[in-house]
Amino acid sequence: MTRPAGTEAARLADLPLPARVRAFPPRLNLRPGDGVAALAGVIIAVPVVSVLLAAVILGGGEAWEHIRDTLMVPYLGGTLGTLALAAFFMLVFAVPAAWLVTMHDFPGRPVFEWLLILPLAAPGYVLAYAWADLMGVGGPLQSLLREMTGWSARDYWFPSMRSMPGLAFVLASGLYPYVYLTARAAFVSQSICALEAARSLGASPLRSFRSVVLPAARPAIAAGLALALMEVAADYGAAEYLGVPTLTFGIVRAWKSFGEPAAAARLAVILLMLVIGLVLAERWSRGRAGSQQSSTRWRTVSRTKLGGVWGWLAALFCLTGFAIGFLLPVSRLVWRALEAREYVAPVGEALKNTLVLAGSGAAFAFVLALVIALAGRSRGPVAAFARLTASSAYAIPGAVLALGALVVLGGLGLTLTGIVPVVALAWVYASRFTAAGAEPMVAALARAPASLGYAAESLGASPLRRAKEVDLPIALSGASAGALILFVESLKELPATLMLRPFNWDTLAVRANAYATDERLAAAALPSLLITLAGLVPVILLSWRLSHSRPGEHTHA
Amino acid sequence: MRESLSAIGVSRAYHGVRVVDSVSLDLKPGAITALLGGSGAGKSTLLRLFAGLEAVDEGEIRLGDRVLSSMTQTLAPDKRRIGLIFQDFALFPHLTAAQNVAFGLKPLGKEAAKVEAAAWLARLGLTSRADAYPHELSGGEQQRVAIARALAPKPAAILMDEPFSGLDPALRSSVRDEALEAVRAAGIPALLVTHDPVEALEAADHVAILKGGKLQQEGPAAEVYLHPASADVAAALGPVNRLRAGEVPAGLAEVPAGSELVVRTEGILLDAASPVKAKVLASQVTGAMNRLVLEAGGRRLVAMVPRCDAPQAGSETGIRLDPALSFIFPSA
Repeated sequence: MTRPAGTEAARLADLPLPARVRAFPPRLNLRPGDGVAALAGVIIAVPVVSVLLAAVILGGGEAWEHIRDTLMVPYLGGTLGTLALAAFFMLVFAVPAAWLVTMHDFPGRPVFEWLLILPLAAPGYVLAYAWADLMGVGGPLQSLLREMTGWSARDYWFPSMRSMPGLAFVLASGLYPYVYLTARAAFVSQSICALEAARSLGASPLRSFRSVVLPAARPAIAAGLALALMEVAADYGAAEYLGVPTLTFGIVRAWKSFGEPAAAARLAVILLMLVIGLVLAERWSRGRAGSQQSSTRWRTVSRTKLGGVWGWLAALFCLTGFAIGFLLPVSRLVWRALEAREYVAPVGEALKNTLVLAGSGAAFAFVLALVIALAGRSRGPVAAFARLTASSAYAIPGAVLALGALVVLGGLGLTLTGIVPVVALAWVYASRFTAAGAEPMVAALARAPASLGYAAESLGASPLRRAKEVDLPIALSGASAGALILFVESLKELPATLMLRPFNWDTLAVRANAYATDERLAAAALPSLLITLAGLVPVILLSWRLSHSRPGEHTHA
Repeated sequence: MRESLSAIGVSRAYHGVRVVDSVSLDLKPGAITALLGGSGAGKSTLLRLFAGLEAVDEGEIRLGDRVLSSMTQTLAPDKRRIGLIFQDFALFPHLTAAQNVAFGLKPLGKEAAKVEAAAWLARLGLTSRADAYPHELSGGEQQRVAIARALAPKPAAILMDEPFSGLDPALRSSVRDEALEAVRAAGIPALLVTHDPVEALEAADHVAILKGGKLQQEGPAAEVYLHPASADVAAALGPVNRLRAGEVPAGLAEVPAGSELVVRTEGILLDAASPVKAKVLASQVTGAMNRLVLEAGGRRLVAMVPRCDAPQAGSETGIRLDPALSFIFPSA
């Protein structure tokens, strides 16, 4: 499973600021950069389009009938159940946490404000390994229980991680920061005046929160939730490890075990429909958020002090979320890695493969992102198409895109040998993550006033010269962040890597997955921790960005 | 039933700075009191103290003889029945105009609240906009919804924080007159926080002038305008010329040493018979009046005179002072 830690969340964090509406110009007005932008859009779109075509053109075959009749219900039930339960877990924790952190003061509040983002660093499969170990029969929690009570393992019931609720719990514990971030941003930026108006009209603090604050923040919260749920739907590693059948799990299995791309493509289409539903929900709620900002006046957020027991309870609440999503699983893995003492397994080779594969994927995505960001500067329909393709592909599970690439390779008569799989994997990484890399560049360009470009043009610069000498240097100022995010995302991606990697090329993610499924957790711990460590970099970047842009705390009317 | 809302010696400090400093102010029922002052004068803070959005450090806020705020307790804003109108109106974006107005009518029950909200919208001429969301309303309409919302629960007092400054200047005075009519009709104490002296004089019955957190002067608008207690108060209510004793052109006025002459711009009268002559440096049309920049005895003066009398730039004219609009204060 992959998690776009840095960018999408950062963009959502900025969400309540007036949305920039980009209108299509009435005439088709082609520009020099459009051909390149169109090519970028097509490169990104091909894998998913070929999956759709494969589902229609290739017949289902026997494997499909078998899957449809015996596995469809468990797959669909597993995915839907996990989505629903994960949504519940995330809302129940993240919304109150965001409310506490923005509107109240309690011990440790400034630290929790950013600590609560850290769980984004560890991919779902890493959390699944750690939590299954923590909660297992031989794990520290059950051992402690037996020691304290004197029971034996058969005397009591203990919640199992290897179940659908367990999967939902694990994924929610790593993905709740999406909801936390958007809810927090919504609470920070909404007019405190509305809250005060409600109080002056006789509403109690609780009624004010329920009927004024929450409805105003609902679109932002829904957007964050939709994003997190896309990641839940895309998860393969955690579902496989915990033995929960889901659609994504089914796609990879239909390909790997049955060798049936057609059946896999049909499953992928069903998953795509779910994801598209989530994308539409996110777009829809974000559109409403833009139009609903009737209040522009911000007042310094004056936090209510939570004294005594209440303050400590609030701190405990936040600590619990952080502990579940990061502290406990990561320390468990560190413990397992150290406990093993001996040199458990070589990671050098895997590290090298990871650098090559994630590096080439990031490089390819970087070029596409740069093209799209620069093309976006001239607001033509082609540039809009390229951006839309990139942001749509971002929502599509890696397993589906990998399947699309396999279909294309199959159609061309290519096999996964030599340089082919490396290129194919770079292509899939680029297809999925370009939007993440383009985001910081687009942001850098957006910060530069449009008049800069007009100035260049008024000085006689051609559009090409303007792109080269004005826009490119500005976009590159956001490029280091973009490149970093692309690299980390590619490195965390598991299912696509599993499906497309060159023979015998194990990356860190593949290694971790292989060791974990062999029940060699001590060996899986080190690659898992390395992935998490890499994942921390964009998350820290994001929290830095957050602490430097807080509308409600600097602007005073 | 109709009682005054009073501040009695209230103070409020942020980080050791007294933003409101021992202010006593009585808001009488049925009268609109304008609270006037520059930015940072403590106007909004005083309003928030009245509303119970902040606690007082010293003094008391009372409604009639009921203590709302004191050093030891602050009655929550939702228990005070004091209406608030904000500069940005703070309409609830997810509720229609009618639902916004009905928000504070919850105790009436759903049906009665609907009827009452509709009646308020009708009163302010908004019946056709009842189902519109705030972002679909014009600025003037939002303003009226905000007023209906604040007045509908029959509050014991109403506080307005720069409620008209967000409006289009062309509409401002007509919207203001309509809005304040509804406020006056409610017969409750009303506070209008503003930084615009014209608005304070045109719209309010009383004015109170705040500077550096201290109340400078308070009283009926005309009285404060004509009898300011200090040069600062005079300047707060409109443009003035300020001249130290030595700077006053000979023959214009007798100003004792150590004192200051403060003359309103419309207090400089043109009088061909006057021995004091001034050179007209500039003469600009500003509507009904002309703004003259004069030079007399090496000092520049600004005068507002009826347009038909206005001399041309470059000419010379005799001037004298209107005693009702000229004041002498000890120099600061």
